[in-house]
Amino acid sequence: MTVPIDQHNEGVKKNVTFRVFRFNPQVDSKPYFDDYTIPVERGITVLRSLNYIKEHIDASVSFRAFCQAGICGSCGMRVNGRSQLACTTQVWDVLARSRDEGIIKVEPLRNLPLIKDLIVDMDPLVDKMKHYSNWIDSTMPEASMGKKEFLISEEEFLRYDKATDCILCASCVSECSILRANKEYVSPAVLLKSYRMNVDSRDSIHGQRLAELVKDHGVWDCTHCYRCQESCVKSIPIMDAIHGIREDAIESRGMKDTSGSKHAEAFMSDIEKKGKLVEATLPIRTNGVVWTLQNLLPMAVKMIMKRRTPPPPPLVKSAKGIKIFREMFREMTEHVKQDHKSHKK
Amino acid sequence: MKPFDVVIVGGGGAGLYAAMEAMKTNPSLNIAVLSKVYPNRSHTSAAQGGANAALANKAKNDTVEMHIFDTIKGSDYLADQDAVDVLCSEAPKIIRELENMGTPWSRMDDNTIAQRPFGGATLPRCCYCSDKTGHTILQTLYEQCLKKGVIFFNEYFALNLSVNGSRSRGLIAMNMKSGKVEAFPARTVIFATGGYAKMYWNRSSNAAGNTGDGQAIAFRSGIPLKDMEFVQFHPTGLRKSGLLITEGARGEGGYLVNKDGERFMARYAKEKMELGPRDLVSRSIETEILEGRGFDSPAGTYIHLDLTHLGADLIKSRLPQIREMSMQFEGVDPIEEPIPIRPTAHYSMGGIDTDNFGRTVMQGVYAAGECGCVSVHGANRLGGNSLLDILVFGRIAGHTAAEEAQQFEPGTISEGELKEQLDEVRGGMHSSGNYERYGALREDLGKTLASNVGIYRESSLLQKGIQEISELKERFKKVRVFDTSDVFNTNLMQVLELKNMLDLAETVAAGAYARQESRGSHTRVDFPVRDDVNWHKHTLATLVNGKVVLGEKPVTMGRYELQERTY
Repeated sequence: MTVPIDQHNEGVKKNVTFRVFRFNPQVDSKPYFDDYTIPVERGITVLRSLNYIKEHIDASVSFRAFCQAGICGSCGMRVNGRSQLACTTQVWDVLARSRDEGIIKVEPLRNLPLIKDLIVDMDPLVDKMKHYSNWIDSTMPEASMGKKEFLISEEEFLRYDKATDCILCASCVSECSILRANKEYVSPAVLLKSYRMNVDSRDSIHGQRLAELVKDHGVWDCTHCYRCQESCVKSIPIMDAIHGIREDAIESRGMKDTSGSKHAEAFMSDIEKKGKLVEATLPIRTNGVVWTLQNLLPMAVKMIMKRRTPPPPPLVKSAKGIKIFREMFREMTEHVKQDHKSHKK
Repeated sequence: MKPFDVVIVGGGGAGLYAAMEAMKTNPSLNIAVLSKVYPNRSHTSAAQGGANAALANKAKNDTVEMHIFDTIKGSDYLADQDAVDVLCSEAPKIIRELENMGTPWSRMDDNTIAQRPFGGATLPRCCYCSDKTGHTILQTLYEQCLKKGVIFFNEYFALNLSVNGSRSRGLIAMNMKSGKVEAFPARTVIFATGGYAKMYWNRSSNAAGNTGDGQAIAFRSGIPLKDMEFVQFHPTGLRKSGLLITEGARGEGGYLVNKDGERFMARYAKEKMELGPRDLVSRSIETEILEGRGFDSPAGTYIHLDLTHLGADLIKSRLPQIREMSMQFEGVDPIEEPIPIRPTAHYSMGGIDTDNFGRTVMQGVYAAGECGCVSVHGANRLGGNSLLDILVFGRIAGHTAAEEAQQFEPGTISEGELKEQLDEVRGGMHSSGNYERYGALREDLGKTLASNVGIYRESSLLQKGIQEISELKERFKKVRVFDTSDVFNTNLMQVLELKNMLDLAETVAAGAYARQESRGSHTRVDFPVRDDVNWHKHTLATLVNGKVVLGEKPVTMGRYELQERTY
């Protein structure tokens, strides 16, 4: 049975206040918010509302928009604190979850330089894509291209299928907790793209890319907060890519490669032996004696003064039920190893 | 600024392929790509379906020749047959080339590139990557351009060519980030700015920026535009946004229903019903709306695409994207309610007149992709041929420009010219006498085009359309740019885009009025049949002393004689 929309929804409007972040570097010394209240019916997106405000109330409100269909990635912004595409976000849906009734707060993406109002500079992201060679450097010489296809299995295609959904909207960049502290950090989107290139059999610079990824500000800086993945507008499992690069790094470059991998190894070994961390020696095992003395000695002295030092290794007792735990640990690592083997096939 | 050898305007599939090929042809050249968006935002990304190439991976008996014939027939015999030869013969090579550079094509069981059937094609030859083909091609090209070190000027809005007699000295563009008008002196300029179907505004599936900037600049510089009257309409666009609901929804068994609850396709295509050819379904929906059997709403009259009878399971498993789009852009869940739809303008067959090498009549100026018109699509483009067009002719234009750049003296653009441009673009910011809002003008342009130069065309309607467009152009002289800032002035950019759309709308309406026949996408109620005696020819629109002057150009024939187009 067909229900005409008009009977129960069409024409019903709600007054919505859009609290829009404003900043014009030519005249403003600091940002501020402007409120615009407009009637919004069901089915209207945040982007269409901003268009309406721009056309009917204040033409100076500035934001990017292009395809308006969720595929070009231009209109990434924070709506009620959450980074997303304005063009695929329904006003009524957001309204239902608004903390301040009837108010939707619209702000620019974080972690990228602000240009004006809701517009941020995307150049840093492009620069990182270049730095981490986010392209296929084909094993086929340019002169021979176009003559025959590489044969690619469905299984290989599936390895990078999801990753190639990325539209570089930078929602993940905006949500990343590492980038907030360190703007030089590689960024989730660039890790995802790097992973996509690394698992492509047509690529010839996998080793070179990986060598760059394990350096400072690279793949080991991620703290697994999963915010990138949660905010991804295309629901891409970005963390799988980050883990993928790490596993690959350990596998092909060895465990002693970087402080990140050594840190992971120290964690593993503690958990296996004692079921908990031996914190006192962790910095030494991760970064070496010299680094620890140079960087952590003052803090260690302070901790001793305040009696906050972790117990020395001999005093760290094994956790309760360690025997059963070790058995579980062995089973799990065995399982992971098997998984790796089948992945590689 | 040091003169460039090649300046490419537009960073979509055609522009990026041109840049890559130009660098490959002569690595010592100084090449730049200007784009009003970051190149990866370009509208190429929106192409879902795929690109045709007779690889014969799926149908082993497929040949380039069959692809050629399908394309010519699809064009209603208005395509130039030598150009179609180039398009289809280059197709397998270019698809493989992209594959070799990393495009993630979907695969068949034997690990070769997968192909699927598409409208108007005899055999399955459409190469695809799920439903994101354009997106992945654009990504690949952008990545390869970054790898090659192509110089990008992102978020630059092209304003005009600097012209000296019969040749160009380069391009003048506005840097959006600073608001400054800058000179790009160049030996050659390639226009690859995409289509112009956004002039139909919210009755268009196009991106907001598909405003035909390159065509408008070329037109104002005296370069002729070809076959502008041919605009393709897709039957099922969402009512509010014009965005496409793909044919798959009807393929899975969706009904088209009018406000009387009637499956009206029974009256237009008794056997095929909802699955009739695209232009027929578009015309049928339009008839229902015109005859008062549509639903009225503030966002316009529409009809229903009803999927509710298909059940939640099928909709969720086979049509998840369509469901997502309906919910995101209309707030309607198709499991529970029918989707409001109406036909939407989505492709422009016309464009800058070029030869098979991308050259225009002006020395050192080239065009490619939807921006140009070779012509390979004639009066009607086949699905899967648009991506192919931008790739093949983008590459050819890049190659030609790189080869010919040395023939041309580098131009110089004077400070005076820049100052003049700057004064012109900022003219609308003065409060004296400027009061028209661009939003209202743009809305009115879309409306007049949809109702007078839309799916059904007829002499008196077209005259009305031409009249209204000229009134809108008068009103535009009083348009006000309310945002007077320099940094990222999107208000100014929208006004400049509207100017381009108005100029092009005039050529679309003029061509449609002149062409007294029905061919491909162009349907004249008063001239319902194809007239090969008088109208088997291209129209050329040229700007002479501020007026559109229509000329004509013969169609290049070849192995295929004129036939009636039936499916």
